[in-house]
Amino acid sequence: MARLIAGLGTSHIPSIGVALDAGKRDDPEWKPFFDGYEPARDWIADAAPDVAVVIYNDHGLELSFQRTVPTFAVGAADRYAPGDEGWGVRDIPAFDGAPDFSWHLIDMLVEEEFDPTICHELDVDHGVQVPLELFWGRPDAWPVRIVPIAVNMLCFPIPKPGRCFRFGKVLGEAIRNWPGDEKFVVIGTGGLSHQLQGARAGFNAPEADRAFLRDIAERPETLAALSREDFVERFGSEGAELIMWLVMRGALDDAVRTVHAHYHVPVSMTGAGMIVMENETVAGASGGERASAEAAGSVQAGRASARTA
Amino acid sequence: MTHERDSDDDLPQVPLFDREHQRRGRAMNMMAMSLNRKVNRVLFKRDELAYLERYGLSEEQKRAVVNRDWREMVRLGGNLFCILKITAVDPYPITKIGADQRGMDHDDFLRNILGKRLPAPGSEKAADQEMGA
Repeated sequence: MARLIAGLGTSHIPSIGVALDAGKRDDPEWKPFFDGYEPARDWIADAAPDVAVVIYNDHGLELSFQRTVPTFAVGAADRYAPGDEGWGVRDIPAFDGAPDFSWHLIDMLVEEEFDPTICHELDVDHGVQVPLELFWGRPDAWPVRIVPIAVNMLCFPIPKPGRCFRFGKVLGEAIRNWPGDEKFVVIGTGGLSHQLQGARAGFNAPEADRAFLRDIAERPETLAALSREDFVERFGSEGAELIMWLVMRGALDDAVRTVHAHYHVPVSMTGAGMIVMENETVAGASGGERASAEAAGSVQAGRASARTA
Repeated sequence: MTHERDSDDDLPQVPLFDREHQRRGRAMNMMAMSLNRKVNRVLFKRDELAYLERYGLSEEQKRAVVNRDWREMVRLGGNLFCILKITAVDPYPITKIGADQRGMDHDDFLRNILGKRLPAPGSEKAADQEMGA
């Protein structure tokens, strides 16, 4: 059975991609930030996930501001091209999709009354590009297939934190009862604190950010119980996109083990954070097999298929 | 909530892109997002005013764009992620947009709001172009 081995969280700040394009990885301004990702990149290389479900928000490429603004949209394409956000298409490979799993997920979401928008074709912006570059570097071809899930974070009303958390629980269930043998990770992107517009522009909240990196692992339900206004006040009008990490966290087991975390402020105007949380049932199993994980997966799958039959 | 504005002329502390802003800023934001296409970037650069006319911006929106008055663009319903694309045609650091909205000097904003350690004034690095968040 498929296994969800870990949840990853990371900022998706576009200036990170700009810095990589300009060859600034080891510049004094950038080195401490990128060095902080090295343990996570080693972890990824060792765990070698087959599929990454990427929770992101579109920033004016095709699902925000334009004709239609879906609250939750699931990519079901064979391939996702990096889009032109105004500065030209960046020189990175397109992302291969996992459309069979996408449709399985869409079925389960509708079964659970989440009713996502289905994207037959979708170009992806820095919200997807930057997290993949941070965790996998700049390969000639991505060694992981992706399932992008776009959440409206820019045009109010945005979805409530608790709704995102529950959406994640369905995502986790869909992975656990997927009959393939792929290893999955779920990536929550965005944040941490930042505000780019308004009289409070430049707002950062390092203390709240550090608390978030602890709470997302240890007590996510307290974060899920916050209001959207709480997120805006605590993390800034753009930092409120941290709500998307709750989709990722909802997909994981109740108990997780944080294996890597990193925080650096500011990157551009943003508190930049990263976390790798292994599912308790597979903790330590990266690169190997675990009977307990297999067993837990089967139990979940049995329960889910009985209910959806 | 702090996003409630005191008056229409004030830039709120935390402007949420709510229904009012989405409707008010629509023409300007659609114009800015059209710059995702290279052909449009060329047209914008060739004759900016004609380009703004084409998208039906109000007189005050046109004035704000032409003057690169980022504070005013946001007040008139512009969303940062849309209007930022203007800087792809005509570079302007995002941190300077932030400083403008606070009504602060750029270096002052970098030092005292973002807490950046700046190279000596006048050095090239200080004006380094950045793209947003």
